[in-house]
Amino acid sequence: MAIAKMKKLTLIGLSREKEALIKELMRLGVVQISEQDARLSDERWSEVVKKDDAETASAKWETELERVDNALKLIDRFGDSKKPLISERKAIQTQEFEDALGKEYEIRRDVLKLTRLSRKLAHALLAENRANIARMSLLPWKEYDIPAEQFATKATRVWQGVVPAGNDSADFLRILAEKTQYTDAEVVYTDSEQHYISILFLAEELDTVQAALRDLGFNRIALPMAEGAVGEALAEVEQELADIDAQKEELIGKIRELKDCEPTLKLYHDELVMRRDCAAIRDKFLVTDSTFYVDGWFPRIAEDKLKALLSRHTCHFETADPQQDEQPPVLLLNGKLAEPFEAVTKLYSFPDYWGIDATAFFALPYALFFGMMLSDAAYGLLLMGITYFVKKKFTLEGMMKQLIDMFFFCGVFTLFWGLMFGSFFGDLITVVSSTFFGRTVNFPTLWFNPVEEPMTLLIFSYALGLLHILLAMGLGGYMSIRDGQPLDALFDVGFWYMLIIGLLLFMGAGMVPALPAGAPLFGKWMAIAGTLGIICTAGRHNKGITRITGGFTSLYDITGYLSDVLSYSRLLALGLATGVISSVFNTLGALGGPTLTGVILMIIAFSIGHPYNFAINALGSFVHSCRLQYVEFFGKFYQSGGVGFAPFCENTKYFKIIKEEQ
Amino acid sequence: MDVLTTAAESLLTGNFMALLGAAVAALAGIGSAIGVGIAGEAAAGVTAEDPSKFGQALLLQALPGTQGIYGLLIAFLIMNKVGLIGGSGMLELTLLQGALIFTSALPIGITGTLSAVAQGKTAAAGIMMIGKRPEEIAKGMVYAAMVETYAVLALLASFLMLNGITL
Repeated sequence: MAIAKMKKLTLIGLSREKEALIKELMRLGVVQISEQDARLSDERWSEVVKKDDAETASAKWETELERVDNALKLIDRFGDSKKPLISERKAIQTQEFEDALGKEYEIRRDVLKLTRLSRKLAHALLAENRANIARMSLLPWKEYDIPAEQFATKATRVWQGVVPAGNDSADFLRILAEKTQYTDAEVVYTDSEQHYISILFLAEELDTVQAALRDLGFNRIALPMAEGAVGEALAEVEQELADIDAQKEELIGKIRELKDCEPTLKLYHDELVMRRDCAAIRDKFLVTDSTFYVDGWFPRIAEDKLKALLSRHTCHFETADPQQDEQPPVLLLNGKLAEPFEAVTKLYSFPDYWGIDATAFFALPYALFFGMMLSDAAYGLLLMGITYFVKKKFTLEGMMKQLIDMFFFCGVFTLFWGLMFGSFFGDLITVVSSTFFGRTVNFPTLWFNPVEEPMTLLIFSYALGLLHILLAMGLGGYMSIRDGQPLDALFDVGFWYMLIIGLLLFMGAGMVPALPAGAPLFGKWMAIAGTLGIICTAGRHNKGITRITGGFTSLYDITGYLSDVLSYSRLLALGLATGVISSVFNTLGALGGPTLTGVILMIIAFSIGHPYNFAINALGSFVHSCRLQYVEFFGKFYQSGGVGFAPFCENTKYFKIIKEEQ
Repeated sequence: MDVLTTAAESLLTGNFMALLGAAVAALAGIGSAIGVGIAGEAAAGVTAEDPSKFGQALLLQALPGTQGIYGLLIAFLIMNKVGLIGGSGMLELTLLQGALIFTSALPIGITGTLSAVAQGKTAAAGIMMIGKRPEEIAKGMVYAAMVETYAVLALLASFLMLNGITL
């Protein structure tokens, strides 16, 4: 339950075994190979070695991969298979994987077919677009019967064009007739935007007509046809569109015929990913003519397996613990119960390798707080049910799996607090029983009802918050002691413990009869001792006069602790929000009384209100539990800034390849 | 003048003040509507670039919506307290009782409205952030939750005040 100890691997091997070794390292998947750019700028290295060439080989696989990706997208688009809600990797045995890829030639032929179909489809779409534009520009001229051959004769011209619909077309015709001698204009069509006008005039009068038209705001357009009348051209375009449609149908049909090869294509995709990665990783290799050098990090727990692998090859390797000035990647290792909560840590930031992984410490508070904020037995069951179903239905990995598991645990605590506070869909049982059955049945309340005794829950929330904060401070102290600074732990944490706990005893011990009578006095002196300790030591890193004043000003931090504790009142407030909004919906549902309409109203209020309330409050509980960890808890001690461990492994998308145990 | 005095006298009753309180509390919904709207505009922008971010953006957009719920919560509790719903008719309140109830609605009515607008802006910024770095959604949520703290405190203040009033 902590950050996995890392070791550094340094490896020199023979070039002829390089490819085989890379493949085996990928399959084992425990080494994160480091960049070597720093080494190359060192002359002693750059004289002997150069960077391995990764470009050529990986580019080849990259192109092929892109093609397969496109082919898969095409099938996805036109195949009728439903997309799953959550994408998952199917497990597959190594042998099965390799067998399926045995006919690589056939798979590549399918990819080629699909690539061609995709290209043809793109062409068809382009042509369709073009035809559609032509059709749109011809449509207004549908009734226009002058063939294109007659647009320009020896003595006459026929122009087509538009004027804005805002202009009066009768005015247009009149003014044109006045300004020119022998023109014959005709409004062919008018829509909401334009008048479509055709003008016949004498060629010799061209200049006059042109000037007149310019003044009238006439915009000449060219009809997209070379011969015949518009009607014929339109028919042609319609025909073309119909042809393209048929062609598209045919292409899509052909794509659908190939949809059965989707699984093999996915296998091939993953194979290509691995081949590309094997090629690309060589970017991090340094080579001479016949040897190569590589180094990287691996978790210490995998040392035996790694050594066994390397000892099968002709190579020299060394493993070493990291030095204090090195920053190994961070891998979190936690027990079964705490592991799902790693998601919360990762959403914040990986801890520093030399810091501390707090996951195990906040797992319980997280679930506890989440439960208090959602605090409804039914919602807890619902959350458990949903997460359980998702886990059964899908093979989840990584972050997704952790989040789902985490919400399952949160559901357990939501159920717990729901029982404590006697809430099952709010007061649904009470409302339904008294409205429809005329007799009040209450859901059992194991502890108390927060709506009736909010102060009790408020104080309880503050108490939980105080414990949470004290735990965080304790972790800070632990880190100081671990790093060989026990005095820092005493000064920065111990004295504050004395002050806070002392104050609590001084002010609160009187209310708890179980404590001995001297507790308040003891608390008073403990708080005073703590205060003096803080005044004397808190300014120790400062220089000059602030060495003394620093002690006093740091006492001001007490307000920080106070506001941190007050922040936990959200546990009460959000808990109330869930409960009261539930009862709002229940009350609304009960308005119809014990009639058939009443029952229907109840069902409607229930099926709209509760899912909504559940969703919005589960989101709120998630966000606010995170906030309490990130701000109040992590703020006291957490050192972030580590980089997640990303080993060189089979980074496949569709299949998870299972190794046969030997 | 007489008309005004009579109107004021007949309106200034405890029951009127209590209902006014419920109304003020529910006004926090204005803030939420504006906040969710601001966040929604940003969400639409990000989703236009990458439709797969719809779900994430929606989560952030929902955050400024809670103030409206808190307002409704207090409004509901007030209505419940004065017997407007669920009971056997509205109680006769003194002017002081009504004024106290009205006062208890002010924290959530005012803080809720303003904080929801501020939270909407923060959520919009968070949505912009997931446009570039979708993996950092938790941080965007926590920024928005920082604002919500004060709405939660106001809710708490309203609730405790209301709870303390004896009728």
